[in-house]
Amino acid sequence: MLVITVVAASDGCARLPYTTTTIHQSQLVHVVLQQEVKPAGYTHPVQLTAGQVASMLRGFSLRSEQRVPLRWFADEQPPQTMLRDDEIARLAPFLVEAFQEAGPEARVHFSLSAPGMNRVDAKTVTSGWMAVRDPYLYITIEYYHTEMPIRSSDRYLPNNPQMPPLPGSFLLFFEPGRFWSIDRSGVRALEYREFLKSASAGRSTP
Amino acid sequence: MKSRWLWVVFLVLSVQWWAMPCASLAADSGRLVEKDGQYVFVESIDPATRLLLERALKQGTITQEEYNNVIQESERRAYLTQPSFKAWYDRGFNLSMNDNAFLLKIRGFVQIRFTQRFRNDAWRNPGEAKNFPELLGVFGDYRANRSENDASQFNLRRVRLMFMGHLFSPDLKYLIQLAGETAENAQNPGSVQVLDAAVTSTHVPWLNVMLGQYKTYFNRAQINNSMSMQFAERALVMDAFTASGLNRRDIGLTIMNDEEIYPVNYYFGIFNGLGPGFNRFGSFGSEQPTEGCSGGQSGGTPTGCDTAQRNLNANFRSDVSQLMYVARLMWNVMGRPGYGEGDMVYSETPQLAVGGGYAYNPAINTATDNGFIGTDLANLNVRRQLATYGNGRQLGWGVLDYSTYAFDVVYKYRGFSLQAEWYWKNINRHQKGAPYLGVPGAGTGGYAPALLGNATGWYAESGYFILPRKLQAAVRYAWWDPDTNAAGDLIKQVDAALTYYISGTYDHQVTLQYSNVFIGTGGYALARSAPLPSPPVALNSFGTVPLDAVQRNLIENAIRIQYSIMF
Repeated sequence: MLVITVVAASDGCARLPYTTTTIHQSQLVHVVLQQEVKPAGYTHPVQLTAGQVASMLRGFSLRSEQRVPLRWFADEQPPQTMLRDDEIARLAPFLVEAFQEAGPEARVHFSLSAPGMNRVDAKTVTSGWMAVRDPYLYITIEYYHTEMPIRSSDRYLPNNPQMPPLPGSFLLFFEPGRFWSIDRSGVRALEYREFLKSASAGRSTP
Repeated sequence: MKSRWLWVVFLVLSVQWWAMPCASLAADSGRLVEKDGQYVFVESIDPATRLLLERALKQGTITQEEYNNVIQESERRAYLTQPSFKAWYDRGFNLSMNDNAFLLKIRGFVQIRFTQRFRNDAWRNPGEAKNFPELLGVFGDYRANRSENDASQFNLRRVRLMFMGHLFSPDLKYLIQLAGETAENAQNPGSVQVLDAAVTSTHVPWLNVMLGQYKTYFNRAQINNSMSMQFAERALVMDAFTASGLNRRDIGLTIMNDEEIYPVNYYFGIFNGLGPGFNRFGSFGSEQPTEGCSGGQSGGTPTGCDTAQRNLNANFRSDVSQLMYVARLMWNVMGRPGYGEGDMVYSETPQLAVGGGYAYNPAINTATDNGFIGTDLANLNVRRQLATYGNGRQLGWGVLDYSTYAFDVVYKYRGFSLQAEWYWKNINRHQKGAPYLGVPGAGTGGYAPALLGNATGWYAESGYFILPRKLQAAVRYAWWDPDTNAAGDLIKQVDAALTYYISGTYDHQVTLQYSNVFIGTGGYALARSAPLPSPPVALNSFGTVPLDAVQRNLIENAIRIQYSIMF
């Protein structure tokens, strides 16, 4: 078994998307390009403006998806706005840059941080990733206002490793709903070019 | 010498005081509140009021200055009317003042284990009397650890309650950890005891100070938290080579730098060296009424001392000025692998660290310095700790100085991990000659036929996350020579474990582990091997029969299923 693990490690084959390029990193915003581990065939790079990205992000809302069997009994909560205006303003320029630099096998991963309940120990994170495969823009949210440890080791219990929680599962919604489609593989995605051409995009563009 | 150390402590505390940053407060325009398990950002000002104000500003009804003043006043009012504390759950129950000057975090840790054990006939006779003997009664008579072949038992292996947080500032932290658990071989139900009671200053990143009772920063296997092990239990060799040789915890002071800032980390500590909840005031010897004459003498009486009179009165507090010194250095060559075992975080880049530690723990009294060295009275707490951690072969050899070395390496990458550690313990006996065991006769008495040697050992373990963050397989091999002067005493251990992490963190897991342990019973152990000390000194619980009269090696196969939750 040791031999198998050593071989597996030296092979170094990735089983999760991994970071290849950091577009921007600050205390509040972190945008990177992640290499997909399976062929993705995105139509990157994509030329977008910050206003276009902002208008798309403004249309999204979400609701956390309950696990079965809670899903059958729990009351459904109304969807919440995915990103506030100030968050979109901080994030959009870096997403534009990321989509310009991304290749066909890379996705754009973003993370927005705010001080946590105990600001020296935790941050509140909203993160996810986006990608474009014409005519669709895909978006997945991994964390939504989730408390995460700042350090990898516990500040209060020495040498207790700190792990972020596993990514959550969220149901995404988009307004106007006619642009929130299902692609050929059955995945929800935004027909972003149609949306950007529409009057609703124009109204929300700053 | 001691005044020099006092100056060092004073200097450290002075630097800490000077480097304390001034407290500063910042007001937010809103805050995150937890509602139904979600964190929601709530503006301090009512949205309807804000809308009306913005419209009024737009229409020119109010000026920008008036708008700003109203907003500020409203936020100030909201700030003043909110509760002065907040409570929430995040890796424990948290209670904090709004300015974050005080934090109380309460955590619990429960580990429930089922053990199915198969032992060979050697565990019936001779049993384990050399490395892990049981010590009975006031005098700590030796008894072999013997058992039937098969065992099936549930066990509360770890039950912990932790109170931690910070006081006055986030850089003055405290930790109190209570334990109420039972070891697999314990004879009594576990009582609640204080495991950790420590205060840590992190005001200066390159000079953190930890004071109190806690795990010494010496070897990697012990520094790691028991919740983040790749196996249900540490290997036997890991416990045998703690800094003190008695326990992984001790009372003292450590200075170190911040592990997450500097690529090279140092740790330097001064401790009592006698384990948790104890100090050298409890270290004693027995003397005859004449000063300088050791008690229990029956032969080889020192000049000027009375001849034989038994005196196990533990009347003399000896070696009360001794302290243990522990140093460790670690270099994060690539990345920062940390101390947690396994690459749960699924490192995107290779993580490599090497480290080494040195510990000097002088004057551990394993038996009183007298003619009956090997059987006479020494502090039972010290002797039992030695036996619990597998250092039972060192019992009875008088006063010992331990110099222990540890070197470790760890590598992690994309779910794979490899960790290894090598140990060496140099044992210096204050009484250089062979111990006198009394007048020879009937298989007893004379001089000990062999002398205690040093000890060494190593382990290597490797793991791989079959499902990232969820399912890990791990294997381990450990090797240990408890007495380099003895033959046939090696201890070899093989473990394989499969762990499922229910929540994708270390905090909730189920482990299935298989262990094979081989223990050699060879070599000479004082008061357990022939020749035994002469009566009337207490020998062992079997009279004049050596505990290793039957020479067979011990083999144990065990399957452990363990459920752990930290909340």
